[in-house]
Amino acid sequence: MANFFRRVTRHLKEGFWGVIRHGSMSISSISAVTITLLIIGVFLIFSINVDNITKDIEESVAIVAIVSFDYEEQTELDRIETSAKAISGVNDVIFSSKDQEWEYYQNLYETEETAAIFGPFQDVNPMHHAFQIEIENGDKIEEIATGIEAIDGIDSVEYGGASAVMLVSALNSIRYGGFVLVMAVSALAIFLIANTIKLTIYARHKEIGIMRNVGATNGYIRSPFVIEGMIIGFIGAIIPVTLCVFGYIYVYDLLGGVFLTEMFVMIPPHPFVLLLVAILSGTGILVGLVGSFFSVTKYLRWKR
Amino acid sequence: MLELKKLSKTYKNGVKALNGINLTISQGEFVYIIGSTGSGKSTLIKIIDGEEVPTSGRCEVIGINVGKLKHSKVPIYRRNIGVVFQDFRLLEAKTVFENIAFALEVINAPKSLIRKRVREVMNLVGLDDKGHSFPNQLSGGQQQRVAIARALANRPMLLIADEPTGNLDPEMSNDIMTLLEKINREEQTTILMVTHDRELVNRHLKRTITLDSGHIKSDVLGGGY
Ligand SMILES: Nc1ncnc2c1ncn2[C@@H]1O[C@H](COP(=O)(O)OP(=O)(O)OP(=O)(O)O)[C@@H](O)[C@H]1O
Ligand SMILES: [Mg+2]
Repeated sequence: MANFFRRVTRHLKEGFWGVIRHGSMSISSISAVTITLLIIGVFLIFSINVDNITKDIEESVAIVAIVSFDYEEQTELDRIETSAKAISGVNDVIFSSKDQEWEYYQNLYETEETAAIFGPFQDVNPMHHAFQIEIENGDKIEEIATGIEAIDGIDSVEYGGASAVMLVSALNSIRYGGFVLVMAVSALAIFLIANTIKLTIYARHKEIGIMRNVGATNGYIRSPFVIEGMIIGFIGAIIPVTLCVFGYIYVYDLLGGVFLTEMFVMIPPHPFVLLLVAILSGTGILVGLVGSFFSVTKYLRWKR
Repeated sequence: MLELKKLSKTYKNGVKALNGINLTISQGEFVYIIGSTGSGKSTLIKIIDGEEVPTSGRCEVIGINVGKLKHSKVPIYRRNIGVVFQDFRLLEAKTVFENIAFALEVINAPKSLIRKRVREVMNLVGLDDKGHSFPNQLSGGQQQRVAIARALANRPMLLIADEPTGNLDPEMSNDIMTLLEKINREEQTTILMVTHDRELVNRHLKRTITLDSGHIKSDVLGGGY
Protein backbone atom coordinates (compact mmCIF):
# COMPACT_ATOMS: atom_id res chain seq x y z
CA MET A 1 0.00 0.00 0.00
CA ALA A 2 2.79 2.41 0.94
CA ASN A 3 4.55 1.30 -2.22
CA PHE A 4 1.53 1.96 -4.35
CA PHE A 5 1.05 5.39 -2.83
CA ARG A 6 4.69 6.22 -3.36
CA ARG A 7 4.45 5.26 -6.98
CA VAL A 8 1.29 7.25 -7.60
CA THR A 9 2.80 10.32 -5.96
CA ARG A 10 5.87 9.97 -8.15
CA HIS A 11 3.81 9.71 -11.33
CA LEU A 12 1.70 12.72 -10.38
CA LYS A 13 4.79 14.75 -9.62
CA GLU A 14 6.46 13.66 -12.86
CA GLY A 15 3.30 14.46 -14.81
CA PHE A 16 3.05 17.99 -13.40
CA TRP A 17 6.73 18.62 -13.94
CA GLY A 18 6.46 17.27 -17.45
CA VAL A 19 3.88 19.90 -18.35
CA ILE A 20 6.10 22.66 -16.99
CA ARG A 21 9.44 21.37 -18.28
CA HIS A 22 8.19 20.86 -21.80
CA GLY A 23 6.51 24.25 -21.71
CA SER A 24 6.37 25.08 -25.40
CA MET A 25 5.18 21.61 -26.35
CA SER A 26 2.57 21.73 -23.60
CA ILE A 27 1.35 25.09 -24.87
CA SER A 28 0.90 23.79 -28.40
CA SER A 29 -1.06 20.78 -27.13
CA ILE A 30 -3.13 22.95 -24.81
CA SER A 31 -3.93 25.32 -27.69
CA ALA A 32 -5.08 22.42 -29.83
CA VAL A 33 -7.38 21.29 -27.04
CA THR A 34 -8.67 24.82 -26.43
CA ILE A 35 -9.54 25.51 -30.05
CA THR A 36 -11.21 22.20 -30.68
CA LEU A 37 -13.19 22.23 -27.44
CA LEU A 38 -14.42 25.73 -28.28
CA ILE A 39 -15.71 24.49 -31.61
CA ILE A 40 -17.24 21.41 -30.03
CA GLY A 41 -18.80 23.56 -27.31
CA VAL A 42 -20.50 25.94 -29.72
CA PHE A 43 -21.85 23.11 -31.86
CA LEU A 44 -22.96 21.25 -28.78
CA ILE A 45 -24.91 24.20 -27.37
CA PHE A 46 -26.55 24.71 -30.73
CA SER A 47 -27.53 21.11 -31.39
CA ILE A 48 -28.72 20.32 -27.86
CA ASN A 49 -30.97 23.38 -28.05
CA VAL A 50 -32.31 22.41 -31.47
CA ASP A 51 -32.92 18.93 -30.14
CA ASN A 52 -34.84 20.32 -27.21
CA ILE A 53 -36.90 22.72 -29.31
CA THR A 54 -37.77 19.94 -31.73
CA LYS A 55 -38.98 17.73 -28.91
CA ASP A 56 -41.06 20.59 -27.45
CA ILE A 57 -42.75 21.29 -30.72
CA GLU A 58 -43.28 17.62 -31.47
CA GLU A 59 -45.00 17.19 -28.16
CA SER A 60 -47.33 20.07 -28.88
CA VAL A 61 -48.24 18.61 -32.24
CA ALA A 62 -51.23 16.48 -31.23
CA ILE A 63 -54.18 15.27 -33.28
CA VAL A 64 -57.74 15.88 -32.20
CA ALA A 65 -60.29 13.46 -33.63
CA ILE A 66 -63.91 14.63 -33.59
CA VAL A 67 -66.56 11.96 -33.11
CA SER A 68 -69.61 12.11 -35.33
CA PHE A 69 -72.98 12.73 -33.58
CA ASP A 70 -74.25 9.39 -34.84
CA TYR A 71 -71.63 7.40 -32.95
CA GLU A 72 -71.97 8.60 -29.37
CA GLU A 73 -72.86 5.30 -27.72
CA GLN A 74 -70.31 3.87 -25.31
CA THR A 75 -69.68 0.73 -27.40
CA GLU A 76 -68.94 2.86 -30.44
CA LEU A 77 -66.63 5.09 -28.43
CA ASP A 78 -64.77 2.07 -27.08
CA ARG A 79 -64.40 0.67 -30.57
CA ILE A 80 -63.05 3.97 -31.91
CA GLU A 81 -60.59 4.22 -29.03
CA THR A 82 -59.30 0.68 -29.60
CA SER A 83 -58.92 1.24 -33.35
CA ALA A 84 -57.06 4.49 -32.81
CA LYS A 85 -54.71 2.89 -30.32
CA ALA A 86 -53.93 0.15 -32.82
CA ILE A 87 -52.49 2.60 -35.33
CA SER A 88 -48.70 2.53 -35.26
CA GLY A 89 -47.03 5.70 -34.03
CA VAL A 90 -49.90 6.46 -31.63
CA ASN A 91 -48.71 6.79 -28.06
CA ASP A 92 -51.96 7.37 -26.26
CA VAL A 93 -55.60 8.10 -26.90
CA ILE A 94 -57.43 10.29 -24.40
CA PHE A 95 -61.20 10.62 -24.46
CA SER A 96 -62.65 14.05 -23.97
CA SER A 97 -66.43 14.17 -23.60
CA LYS A 98 -68.53 16.83 -25.27
CA ASP A 99 -69.19 18.40 -21.87
CA GLN A 100 -65.48 18.71 -21.19
CA GLU A 101 -64.97 20.15 -24.65
CA TRP A 102 -67.73 22.70 -24.11
CA GLU A 103 -66.32 23.72 -20.77
CA TYR A 104 -62.84 23.98 -22.21
CA TYR A 105 -64.12 26.05 -25.09
CA GLN A 106 -65.94 28.46 -22.79
CA ASN A 107 -62.96 28.77 -20.49
CA LEU A 108 -60.83 29.62 -23.46
CA TYR A 109 -62.56 32.97 -23.69
CA GLU A 110 -63.59 33.40 -20.10
CA THR A 111 -64.30 36.99 -19.31
CA GLU A 112 -67.33 38.72 -17.82
CA GLU A 113 -68.80 39.31 -21.25
CA THR A 114 -68.34 35.83 -22.68
CA ALA A 115 -69.83 34.34 -19.56
CA ALA A 116 -72.81 36.54 -20.16
CA ILE A 117 -73.01 35.51 -23.80
CA PHE A 118 -72.62 31.75 -23.21
CA GLY A 119 -74.70 31.73 -20.08
CA PRO A 120 -78.11 31.24 -21.70
CA PHE A 121 -76.82 28.43 -23.96
CA GLN A 122 -75.33 26.35 -21.15
CA ASP A 123 -77.67 23.47 -21.94
CA VAL A 124 -77.43 23.45 -25.69
CA ASN A 125 -74.00 21.96 -26.04
CA PRO A 126 -72.90 22.24 -29.67
CA MET A 127 -69.68 20.25 -29.15
CA HIS A 128 -68.80 16.73 -30.25
CA HIS A 129 -67.13 14.04 -28.23
CA ALA A 130 -63.43 14.05 -29.11
CA PHE A 131 -60.24 12.03 -28.76
CA GLN A 132 -56.85 13.54 -28.22
CA ILE A 133 -54.27 11.44 -30.00
CA GLU A 134 -50.72 11.67 -28.70
CA ILE A 135 -48.14 10.60 -31.21
CA GLU A 136 -44.59 9.37 -30.89
CA ASN A 137 -43.06 12.00 -33.13
CA GLY A 138 -44.05 14.55 -35.71
CA ASP A 139 -42.65 12.64 -38.65
CA LYS A 140 -45.71 10.49 -39.24
CA ILE A 141 -48.39 12.98 -38.23
CA GLU A 142 -50.01 13.14 -41.66
CA GLU A 143 -50.13 9.40 -42.07
CA ILE A 144 -51.61 8.88 -38.60
CA ALA A 145 -54.20 11.61 -39.11
CA THR A 146 -55.36 9.94 -42.31
CA GLY A 147 -55.54 6.62 -40.54
CA ILE A 148 -57.66 8.01 -37.74
CA GLU A 149 -59.97 9.86 -40.07
CA ALA A 150 -60.65 6.55 -41.80
CA ILE A 151 -62.05 5.01 -38.58
CA ASP A 152 -65.77 4.55 -38.78
CA GLY A 153 -67.48 7.21 -36.68
CA ILE A 154 -64.81 9.90 -36.88
CA ASP A 155 -66.22 13.06 -38.31
CA SER A 156 -62.98 14.89 -38.84
CA VAL A 157 -59.47 15.28 -37.49
CA GLU A 158 -57.64 18.47 -36.61
CA TYR A 159 -53.96 19.00 -36.20
CA GLY A 160 -51.35 21.69 -36.63
CA GLY A 161 -51.55 21.19 -40.37
CA ALA A 162 -48.92 21.03 -43.06
CA SER A 163 -46.89 23.92 -41.66
CA ALA A 164 -46.44 22.22 -38.29
CA VAL A 165 -45.38 19.04 -40.00
CA MET A 166 -42.92 20.91 -42.16
CA LEU A 167 -41.48 22.72 -39.17
CA VAL A 168 -41.03 19.48 -37.30
CA SER A 169 -39.34 17.82 -40.24
CA ALA A 170 -37.11 20.84 -40.83
CA LEU A 171 -36.08 20.84 -37.19
CA ASN A 172 -35.47 17.14 -37.37
CA SER A 173 -33.10 17.60 -40.29
CA ILE A 174 -31.27 20.35 -38.42
CA ARG A 175 -31.15 18.15 -35.35
CA TYR A 176 -29.69 15.16 -37.13
CA GLY A 177 -27.40 17.35 -39.19
CA GLY A 178 -26.26 19.03 -35.99
CA PHE A 179 -25.42 15.77 -34.31
CA VAL A 180 -23.58 14.47 -37.34
CA LEU A 181 -21.66 17.72 -37.38
CA VAL A 182 -20.84 17.51 -33.68
CA MET A 183 -19.60 13.97 -34.16
CA ALA A 184 -17.56 14.93 -37.22
CA VAL A 185 -16.08 18.00 -35.52
CA SER A 186 -15.32 15.96 -32.40
CA ALA A 187 -13.64 13.23 -34.41
CA LEU A 188 -11.58 15.82 -36.26
CA ALA A 189 -10.74 17.59 -33.02
CA ILE A 190 -9.70 14.42 -31.29
CA PHE A 191 -7.54 13.53 -34.26
CA LEU A 192 -5.94 16.98 -34.17
CA ILE A 193 -5.22 16.78 -30.45
CA ALA A 194 -3.93 13.22 -30.64
CA ASN A 195 -1.66 14.23 -33.48
CA THR A 196 -0.28 17.22 -31.59
CA ILE A 197 0.37 15.03 -28.58
CA LYS A 198 2.02 12.46 -30.82
CA LEU A 199 4.38 15.11 -32.17
CA THR A 200 5.24 16.39 -28.72
CA ILE A 201 5.87 12.86 -27.53
CA TYR A 202 7.92 12.07 -30.62
CA ALA A 203 10.28 14.80 -29.53
CA ARG A 204 10.75 12.71 -26.39
CA HIS A 205 11.07 9.22 -27.85
CA LYS A 206 14.72 9.21 -26.87
CA GLU A 207 13.64 9.84 -23.31
CA ILE A 208 11.29 6.87 -23.49
CA GLY A 209 14.12 4.64 -24.73
CA ILE A 210 16.39 5.78 -21.91
CA MET A 211 13.71 5.03 -19.33
CA ARG A 212 13.58 1.47 -20.61
CA ASN A 213 17.37 1.34 -20.47
CA VAL A 214 17.44 2.03 -16.77
CA GLY A 215 14.77 -0.56 -16.03
CA ALA A 216 11.47 1.32 -16.12
CA THR A 217 8.55 -0.90 -17.15
CA ASN A 218 6.19 0.21 -19.87
CA GLY A 219 3.46 0.99 -17.36
CA TYR A 220 5.85 3.06 -15.31
CA ILE A 221 6.95 5.04 -18.36
CA ARG A 222 3.40 5.55 -19.57
CA SER A 223 1.90 6.84 -16.35
CA PRO A 224 3.52 10.29 -16.16
CA PHE A 225 2.90 10.86 -19.86
CA VAL A 226 -0.74 9.93 -19.44
CA ILE A 227 -1.08 12.18 -16.40
CA GLU A 228 0.62 14.92 -18.38
CA GLY A 229 -1.90 14.40 -21.17
CA MET A 230 -4.79 14.61 -18.74
CA ILE A 231 -3.44 17.80 -17.20
CA ILE A 232 -3.02 19.30 -20.65
CA GLY A 233 -6.57 18.27 -21.54
CA PHE A 234 -7.87 19.81 -18.34
CA ILE A 235 -5.97 23.07 -18.76
CA GLY A 236 -7.03 23.21 -22.39
CA ALA A 237 -10.66 22.90 -21.32
CA ILE A 238 -10.60 25.88 -18.95
CA ILE A 239 -11.05 28.62 -21.56
CA PRO A 240 -13.71 26.81 -23.65
CA VAL A 241 -15.67 25.87 -20.53
CA THR A 242 -15.59 29.42 -19.21
CA LEU A 243 -16.53 30.96 -22.53
CA CYS A 244 -19.32 28.47 -23.22
CA VAL A 245 -20.85 28.71 -19.75
CA PHE A 246 -20.79 32.48 -19.40
CA GLY A 247 -21.47 32.97 -23.11
CA TYR A 248 -24.57 30.84 -22.90
CA ILE A 249 -25.85 32.54 -19.75
CA TYR A 250 -25.24 35.92 -21.38
CA VAL A 251 -26.98 35.02 -24.64
CA TYR A 252 -29.86 33.42 -22.79
CA ASP A 253 -30.45 36.59 -20.78
CA LEU A 254 -29.95 38.78 -23.82
CA LEU A 255 -32.56 36.90 -25.87
CA GLY A 256 -34.90 36.45 -22.94
CA GLY A 257 -34.74 32.67 -23.16
CA VAL A 258 -36.18 32.35 -26.64
CA PHE A 259 -34.53 32.10 -30.00
CA LEU A 260 -36.05 34.20 -32.83
CA THR A 261 -39.67 33.44 -31.91
CA GLU A 262 -41.56 32.53 -28.76
CA MET A 263 -41.90 29.03 -30.18
CA PHE A 264 -38.17 28.32 -29.88
CA VAL A 265 -37.62 28.14 -26.15
CA MET A 266 -33.96 27.88 -25.13
CA ILE A 267 -32.83 25.45 -22.45
CA PRO A 268 -32.51 27.33 -19.12
CA PRO A 269 -28.80 27.76 -18.22
CA HIS A 270 -29.19 25.92 -14.93
CA PRO A 271 -28.38 23.07 -14.80
CA PHE A 272 -27.62 22.94 -18.54
CA VAL A 273 -24.24 24.68 -18.11
CA LEU A 274 -23.18 21.97 -15.69
CA LEU A 275 -23.69 19.44 -18.46
CA LEU A 276 -21.50 21.62 -20.70
CA VAL A 277 -18.78 21.77 -18.04
CA ALA A 278 -18.89 18.00 -17.64
CA ILE A 279 -18.88 17.20 -21.36
CA LEU A 280 -16.18 19.70 -22.33
CA SER A 281 -13.75 19.08 -19.49
CA GLY A 282 -14.45 15.35 -19.69
CA THR A 283 -13.70 15.35 -23.41
CA GLY A 284 -10.51 17.36 -22.87
CA ILE A 285 -9.20 15.07 -20.14
CA LEU A 286 -10.23 11.90 -21.95
CA VAL A 287 -8.66 12.96 -25.22
CA GLY A 288 -5.45 13.94 -23.42
CA LEU A 289 -5.41 10.58 -21.70
CA VAL A 290 -6.14 8.49 -24.79
CA GLY A 291 -3.91 10.55 -27.06
CA SER A 292 -0.87 10.29 -24.83
CA PHE A 293 -1.52 6.66 -23.95
CA PHE A 294 -1.46 5.58 -27.59
CA SER A 295 1.44 7.84 -28.52
CA VAL A 296 3.66 6.54 -25.72
CA THR A 297 2.66 2.98 -26.47
CA LYS A 298 3.66 3.51 -30.07
CA TYR A 299 7.12 4.82 -29.18
CA LEU A 300 7.58 2.18 -26.51
CA ARG A 301 7.36 -0.44 -29.23
CA TRP A 302 10.07 1.28 -31.20
CA LYS A 303 12.79 0.33 -28.78
CA ARG A 304 13.45 -2.93 -27.11
CA MET B 1 26.99 -15.67 -15.07
CA LEU B 2 27.22 -14.81 -18.76
CA GLU B 3 27.23 -17.37 -21.50
CA LEU B 4 27.20 -16.75 -25.26
CA LYS B 5 26.76 -19.71 -27.59
CA LYS B 6 27.26 -19.45 -31.35
CA LEU B 7 25.93 -15.95 -31.14
CA SER B 8 25.44 -14.18 -34.47
CA LYS B 9 23.89 -10.89 -35.38
CA THR B 10 23.08 -9.67 -38.85
CA TYR B 11 21.46 -6.24 -39.05
CA LYS B 12 18.51 -5.57 -41.32
CA ASN B 13 20.77 -3.85 -43.82
CA GLY B 14 22.78 -7.06 -44.20
CA VAL B 15 25.78 -6.09 -42.08
CA LYS B 16 27.13 -9.13 -40.22
CA ALA B 17 28.17 -7.50 -36.95
CA LEU B 18 28.73 -10.71 -34.97
CA ASN B 19 29.57 -14.13 -36.26
CA GLY B 20 29.40 -17.23 -34.06
CA ILE B 21 30.60 -15.83 -30.74
CA ASN B 22 31.23 -18.36 -27.94
CA LEU B 23 32.07 -16.82 -24.59
CA THR B 24 31.72 -17.59 -20.89
CA ILE B 25 32.27 -15.04 -18.12
CA SER B 26 32.03 -15.97 -14.44
CA GLN B 27 30.77 -13.96 -11.50
CA GLY B 28 33.31 -11.40 -10.30
CA GLU B 29 35.45 -11.29 -13.45
CA PHE B 30 36.80 -8.08 -14.97
CA VAL B 31 36.97 -8.38 -18.74
CA TYR B 32 38.09 -6.00 -21.49
CA ILE B 33 36.62 -6.18 -24.94
CA ILE B 34 38.85 -4.55 -27.52
CA GLY B 35 38.92 -4.45 -31.28
CA SER B 36 39.02 -2.01 -34.14
CA THR B 37 36.11 0.23 -34.95
CA GLY B 38 33.17 -1.65 -36.44
CA SER B 39 34.36 -4.98 -35.11
CA GLY B 40 31.05 -5.54 -33.26
CA LYS B 41 31.80 -4.48 -29.68
CA SER B 42 28.77 -2.26 -29.23
CA THR B 43 26.57 -4.82 -30.94
CA LEU B 44 27.70 -7.43 -28.42
CA ILE B 45 26.81 -5.11 -25.56
CA LYS B 46 23.42 -4.31 -27.06
CA ILE B 47 22.64 -8.00 -27.24
CA ILE B 48 23.65 -8.55 -23.63
CA ASP B 49 21.52 -5.55 -22.65
CA GLY B 50 18.56 -6.99 -24.58
CA GLU B 51 18.37 -4.02 -26.93
CA GLU B 52 19.18 -6.11 -29.98
CA VAL B 53 17.96 -9.66 -30.55
CA PRO B 54 20.49 -12.25 -31.79
CA THR B 55 19.88 -13.51 -35.31
CA SER B 56 20.98 -16.95 -34.14
CA GLY B 57 22.64 -18.46 -31.11
CA ARG B 58 22.00 -17.78 -27.49
CA CYS B 59 22.81 -15.12 -24.92
CA GLU B 60 22.27 -16.14 -21.32
CA VAL B 61 22.84 -13.79 -18.39
CA ILE B 62 22.24 -14.86 -14.78
CA GLY B 63 20.21 -17.75 -16.17
CA ILE B 64 18.01 -15.56 -18.36
CA ASN B 65 17.82 -16.13 -22.10
CA VAL B 66 18.02 -12.47 -23.01
CA GLY B 67 17.15 -12.77 -26.68
CA LYS B 68 13.89 -14.54 -25.86
CA LEU B 69 12.64 -11.99 -23.33
CA LYS B 70 9.24 -10.44 -23.98
CA HIS B 71 9.34 -6.74 -24.79
CA SER B 72 7.66 -5.91 -21.51
CA LYS B 73 10.12 -8.02 -19.46
CA VAL B 74 13.30 -6.47 -20.87
CA PRO B 75 13.35 -3.50 -18.44
CA ILE B 76 12.87 -5.82 -15.48
CA TYR B 77 15.82 -7.93 -16.61
CA ARG B 78 17.88 -4.74 -16.92
CA ARG B 79 17.50 -4.03 -13.22
CA ASN B 80 20.14 -6.70 -12.68
CA ILE B 81 22.70 -5.04 -14.86
CA GLY B 82 24.12 -1.57 -15.20
CA VAL B 83 25.10 -0.23 -18.59
CA VAL B 84 27.24 2.78 -19.45
CA PHE B 85 26.46 3.60 -23.06
CA GLN B 86 28.87 5.00 -25.57
CA ASP B 87 26.48 7.94 -26.05
CA PHE B 88 25.68 8.31 -22.30
CA ARG B 89 21.87 8.37 -22.73
CA LEU B 90 21.10 10.83 -19.98
CA LEU B 91 17.66 12.40 -19.61
CA GLU B 92 18.12 15.97 -20.83
CA ALA B 93 15.20 17.34 -18.83
CA LYS B 94 16.46 15.98 -15.54
CA THR B 95 19.30 17.15 -13.35
CA VAL B 96 22.29 14.96 -12.59
CA PHE B 97 20.79 14.02 -9.25
CA GLU B 98 17.43 13.16 -10.81
CA ASN B 99 19.04 11.16 -13.60
CA ILE B 100 20.78 8.92 -11.11
CA ALA B 101 17.77 8.81 -8.80
CA PHE B 102 15.55 7.72 -11.68
CA ALA B 103 17.25 4.32 -11.88
CA LEU B 104 16.18 3.78 -8.27
CA GLU B 105 12.74 5.31 -8.58
CA VAL B 106 11.77 2.83 -11.25
CA ILE B 107 12.31 0.00 -8.79
CA ASN B 108 10.16 1.98 -6.36
CA ALA B 109 12.84 2.52 -3.72
CA PRO B 110 11.89 4.79 -0.82
CA LYS B 111 12.91 8.41 -1.09
CA SER B 112 15.32 8.47 1.85
CA LEU B 113 17.20 5.46 0.52
CA ILE B 114 17.38 7.00 -2.96
CA ARG B 115 18.81 10.25 -1.62
CA LYS B 116 21.47 8.42 0.36
CA ARG B 117 22.51 6.12 -2.48
CA VAL B 118 22.60 8.89 -5.09
CA ARG B 119 24.92 10.98 -2.87
CA GLU B 120 27.08 7.90 -2.41
CA VAL B 121 27.56 7.18 -6.09
CA MET B 122 27.97 10.84 -6.96
CA ASN B 123 30.76 10.98 -4.43
CA LEU B 124 32.19 7.76 -5.85
CA VAL B 125 32.56 9.26 -9.35
CA GLY B 126 33.62 12.66 -7.99
CA LEU B 127 30.57 14.72 -8.95
CA ASP B 128 29.46 15.89 -5.50
CA ASP B 129 28.90 19.47 -6.57
CA LYS B 130 27.06 18.80 -9.83
CA GLY B 131 23.78 17.46 -8.51
CA HIS B 132 21.71 20.38 -9.72
CA SER B 133 23.30 20.71 -13.15
CA PHE B 134 21.58 19.51 -16.29
CA PRO B 135 23.47 17.16 -18.64
CA ASN B 136 23.94 19.83 -21.31
CA GLN B 137 25.75 21.99 -18.74
CA LEU B 138 28.41 19.32 -18.25
CA SER B 139 31.54 18.38 -20.19
CA GLY B 140 31.67 15.04 -22.01
CA GLY B 141 33.78 13.54 -19.27
CA GLN B 142 31.40 14.70 -16.58
CA GLN B 143 28.40 13.29 -18.43
CA GLN B 144 30.24 10.01 -18.71
CA ARG B 145 30.72 9.93 -14.98
CA VAL B 146 27.03 10.62 -14.45
CA ALA B 147 26.29 7.65 -16.69
CA ILE B 148 28.64 5.48 -14.63
CA ALA B 149 27.08 6.65 -11.38
CA ARG B 150 23.61 5.84 -12.70
CA ALA B 151 24.71 2.38 -13.83
CA LEU B 152 26.10 1.69 -10.36
CA ALA B 153 23.19 3.10 -8.42
CA ASN B 154 21.22 -0.10 -7.87
CA ARG B 155 24.29 -2.26 -7.24
CA PRO B 156 24.08 -4.35 -10.42
CA MET B 157 25.54 -7.86 -10.59
CA LEU B 158 26.94 -7.07 -14.00
CA LEU B 159 28.30 -3.71 -15.09
CA ILE B 160 28.77 -3.18 -18.79
CA ALA B 161 30.62 -0.12 -19.97
CA ASP B 162 31.03 0.90 -23.60
CA GLU B 163 34.18 3.04 -23.64
CA PRO B 164 33.67 4.58 -20.22
CA THR B 165 36.94 6.41 -20.49
CA GLY B 166 36.55 7.50 -24.09
CA ASN B 167 36.08 11.18 -23.26
CA LEU B 168 38.35 11.44 -20.26
CA ASP B 169 41.87 12.71 -19.86
CA PRO B 170 44.46 10.09 -18.78
CA GLU B 171 44.30 11.13 -15.18
CA MET B 172 40.52 10.91 -15.01
CA SER B 173 40.61 7.62 -16.92
CA ASN B 174 42.90 6.28 -14.29
CA ASP B 175 40.55 7.38 -11.53
CA ILE B 176 37.63 5.70 -13.26
CA MET B 177 39.63 2.50 -13.67
CA THR B 178 40.57 2.55 -10.01
CA LEU B 179 36.88 3.06 -9.22
CA LEU B 180 35.78 0.15 -11.41
CA GLU B 181 38.43 -2.10 -9.91
CA LYS B 182 37.24 -1.15 -6.47
CA ILE B 183 33.63 -1.97 -7.34
CA ASN B 184 34.75 -5.23 -8.89
CA ARG B 185 36.73 -6.16 -5.84
CA GLU B 186 34.46 -4.94 -3.08
CA GLU B 187 30.99 -5.65 -4.47
CA GLN B 188 31.93 -8.70 -6.53
CA THR B 189 30.38 -6.93 -9.52
CA THR B 190 31.22 -8.56 -12.81
CA ILE B 191 32.60 -5.93 -15.18
CA LEU B 192 32.61 -5.98 -18.94
CA MET B 193 34.42 -3.02 -20.42
CA VAL B 194 34.81 -2.00 -24.04
CA THR B 195 37.80 0.18 -24.68
CA HIS B 196 40.14 1.55 -27.27
CA ASP B 197 42.64 2.76 -24.70
CA ARG B 198 45.83 0.73 -25.24
CA GLU B 199 47.71 2.37 -22.46
CA LEU B 200 44.96 1.68 -19.95
CA VAL B 201 44.63 -1.97 -20.96
CA ASN B 202 48.37 -2.42 -20.67
CA ARG B 203 48.61 -0.70 -17.31
CA HIS B 204 45.71 -2.54 -15.64
CA LEU B 205 46.10 -6.04 -16.98
CA LYS B 206 42.92 -8.14 -17.13
CA ARG B 207 41.32 -10.86 -19.20
CA THR B 208 41.18 -9.35 -22.67
CA ILE B 209 38.90 -10.41 -25.52
CA THR B 210 39.75 -9.12 -28.96
CA LEU B 211 36.99 -8.87 -31.54
CA ASP B 212 37.73 -8.75 -35.23
CA SER B 213 34.91 -8.31 -37.75
CA GLY B 214 32.45 -10.20 -35.61
CA HIS B 215 34.77 -13.01 -34.51
CA ILE B 216 36.69 -13.54 -31.30
CA LYS B 217 40.28 -13.21 -32.43
CA SER B 218 41.83 -13.81 -29.04
CA ASP B 219 40.81 -14.30 -25.42
CA VAL B 220 43.77 -13.92 -23.10
CA LEU B 221 43.85 -13.90 -19.31
CA GLY B 222 45.84 -10.88 -18.12
CA GLY B 223 46.36 -10.07 -21.76
CA GLY B 224 47.15 -6.48 -22.67
CA TYR B 225 46.67 -4.95 -26.12
N1 LIG C 1 21.65 -0.40 -35.92
C1 LIG C 1 22.48 -0.84 -36.87
N2 LIG C 1 21.98 -1.11 -38.10
C2 LIG C 1 22.79 -1.56 -39.07
N3 LIG C 1 24.10 -1.77 -38.92
C3 LIG C 1 24.65 -1.51 -37.74
C4 LIG C 1 23.87 -1.02 -36.65
N4 LIG C 1 24.68 -0.86 -35.58
C5 LIG C 1 25.90 -1.21 -35.99
N5 LIG C 1 25.91 -1.60 -37.28
C6 LIG C 1 27.06 -2.09 -38.03
O1 LIG C 1 27.55 -3.24 -37.39
C7 LIG C 1 28.96 -3.24 -37.36
C8 LIG C 1 29.44 -3.32 -35.92
O2 LIG C 1 29.10 -2.12 -35.28
P1 LIG C 1 29.42 -1.84 -33.75
O3 LIG C 1 28.74 -0.58 -33.37
O4 LIG C 1 29.07 -3.05 -32.98
O5 LIG C 1 30.98 -1.61 -33.78
P2 LIG C 1 31.97 -1.20 -32.59
O6 LIG C 1 32.93 -2.31 -32.46
O7 LIG C 1 31.23 -0.80 -31.40
O8 LIG C 1 32.67 0.08 -33.22
P3 LIG C 1 33.22 1.39 -32.45
O9 LIG C 1 34.54 1.01 -31.89
O10 LIG C 1 33.34 2.40 -33.54
O11 LIG C 1 32.21 1.77 -31.44
C9 LIG C 1 29.40 -1.98 -38.07
O12 LIG C 1 29.72 -2.32 -39.40
C10 LIG C 1 28.20 -1.09 -38.06
O13 LIG C 1 28.15 -0.29 -39.19
MG1 LIG D 1 30.90 0.94 -30.31
